[in-house]
Amino acid sequence: MRVVRFGILSATLMLASIPAQAADNSAIKEKAAVCSGCHGENGISQTENIPSLAGQPDQFIQWQLVFFRAGSRKNDQMQPIVEEITNENIRNFGAYFSQMTPPKGAEDKDPDLSKKGAEAAAGRRCASCHTDSYAGTKAVARLAGQREEYLVKALHDYKAGVRVGGGVAAMADVAYHMSDEEITAVSHYLAHLK
Amino acid sequence: MTSMFHRSVLALAAVALLAGTSVVNAQQQDKNRALKKYESGTKEFWTHPPDDWFLGDETEAQKGLAPPSGPPTGASEAELAAMMKKIKLPPGFKIEVYAPGVLAARQMAWGDKGTLFVGSFGLGNVYAIKDNNGKKEVKTILKGLNMPTGLAFKDGALYVIAVDKLIRYDNAEANLDNLGQGKVVYDDMPSYAAHGWKYIAVDKEGWFFLPFGPPFNVGIPPTSVSQIRRVDPKTGNAEVYALGVRNSVGGDVDPRTGKYWFTENARDWVSDDLPSDKLNMISKMGEHFGYPYCHQGDLPDPKFAMGHKCSEFTPPVLNLGAHVAPLGMKFYTGDQFPAEYKNNILIAEHGSWNRHKYQGARIMRVIVGPDGKNAKQEVFASGWLEGDQGYLGRPADIILAKDGSILVADDWAGAIYRISYSKK
Repeated sequence: MRVVRFGILSATLMLASIPAQAADNSAIKEKAAVCSGCHGENGISQTENIPSLAGQPDQFIQWQLVFFRAGSRKNDQMQPIVEEITNENIRNFGAYFSQMTPPKGAEDKDPDLSKKGAEAAAGRRCASCHTDSYAGTKAVARLAGQREEYLVKALHDYKAGVRVGGGVAAMADVAYHMSDEEITAVSHYLAHLK
Repeated sequence: MTSMFHRSVLALAAVALLAGTSVVNAQQQDKNRALKKYESGTKEFWTHPPDDWFLGDETEAQKGLAPPSGPPTGASEAELAAMMKKIKLPPGFKIEVYAPGVLAARQMAWGDKGTLFVGSFGLGNVYAIKDNNGKKEVKTILKGLNMPTGLAFKDGALYVIAVDKLIRYDNAEANLDNLGQGKVVYDDMPSYAAHGWKYIAVDKEGWFFLPFGPPFNVGIPPTSVSQIRRVDPKTGNAEVYALGVRNSVGGDVDPRTGKYWFTENARDWVSDDLPSDKLNMISKMGEHFGYPYCHQGDLPDPKFAMGHKCSEFTPPVLNLGAHVAPLGMKFYTGDQFPAEYKNNILIAEHGSWNRHKYQGARIMRVIVGPDGKNAKQEVFASGWLEGDQGYLGRPADIILAKDGSILVADDWAGAIYRISYSKK
């Protein structure tokens, strides 16, 4: 984990100088090259603890960029990259990643765990915001097919109060009450949704 | 853990059961549900409110209604220009964009030297807007605060209230580029976000009226919330000034009497048309405004009335309407508007989130004497609603400008507007 972080950090340092140059290019695709270093080609992450962005709702992408820029979502890798990002580019990135084909859940090798996860998700009413298909909507994230260990990380971040979420702080409130076992099961279930 | 899954299974079973029943049966079941009970006596409750604090009480017919999320980067200047043409005002009044790019703009306060300070919602920013030869320069002067919705300016200092901290930044207008950490002058407040965002109204003695909302829709309030406190920013001394208040995020001191008037958002999930949000006035310290026992002055709570009668509580000055979400308000003390506007109350209505057809998202004018009797209201500015559940903008606060015009903060479009009057 620590080793992986280190790798990400050095990659970030290399990329950190790019946005200023990239801003001169009009094509959003070229600007998004900064993102693909960590978030993967086609918005599908191959990197541990880094989320896939492909198929995330437009508004969700935009909100997270606004939160990173404002410092209300704290992340050492993201903050220097988006510090000077313009509103226009935030809108463009939202449109760009939301139109990509979302990742598909891999073959589920632990259906029992998924079953527990589905029950926990129902008990926590996840679908009432994230939608029945877990594709997300508007400001609410897509969860289906997201990297399993990233979902675990995100839920732990909410639970620990490291990440607050949007205006009414629903995620922090929900995750606080989740046990580690529940988080493991829910994450496994969502990551393998097809 | 086991009990967790057990509960989940039960919930699944309940869902399956409901799925086969008619809406009427579902409503009957909703009615028969036991009083919701929160363990509000525990210390943990003070850091973590119930996870269903703004949901949980909805009926089957209300499921799926959730707070809408605005455009993350606000409205563009082109969108704002188009929006201004859609806003309806009484004859002689004009609306224009005062400043764009003020994301999530909430309460406003003037500095002595003409800086307009603006708080924000979940974004955590505080802005300063300076007039630079007619062009408004918006600067983010504080970042990363916890819902700094309320602020005030007094004796050269900017005060920001960020849920559980009232922070003072001395000599603020001279230090806009580096306000520093500030000094916490009052922090005897719960730390949770749920109805924890606040508003500041300064009274004639320089004390602040601060609202304390309960961390849920409806229930027996845990200790030290559902009240209005009066806090002395100099000493940190505080007193409970009113009780039985749900979620208030706006108020002003009557220039005629010094009494505190405030808006209050009523409980959710009764119906689209009940109960009404309120305008209240505190006649004397310690009054109880009815929550959670009685709503809108005449509606005992279906679950929580528990034998109480509405006549036990201070009635509202005016019922403003259901789900209109009144936030910031000001007495009009300027000279620019027609004379009949003097001492009227202008209320920024944020608009609905859990009504099937949204209402609100406008500015109301309330005409009422200092005794609070025979109040009546009319629409002053409207046009921010589009369709049944669409917003162009959502007014959140109002402040008077020196010239007698008013400024309106909009946390959806992320902008400040100016409304002025001219006879010709």
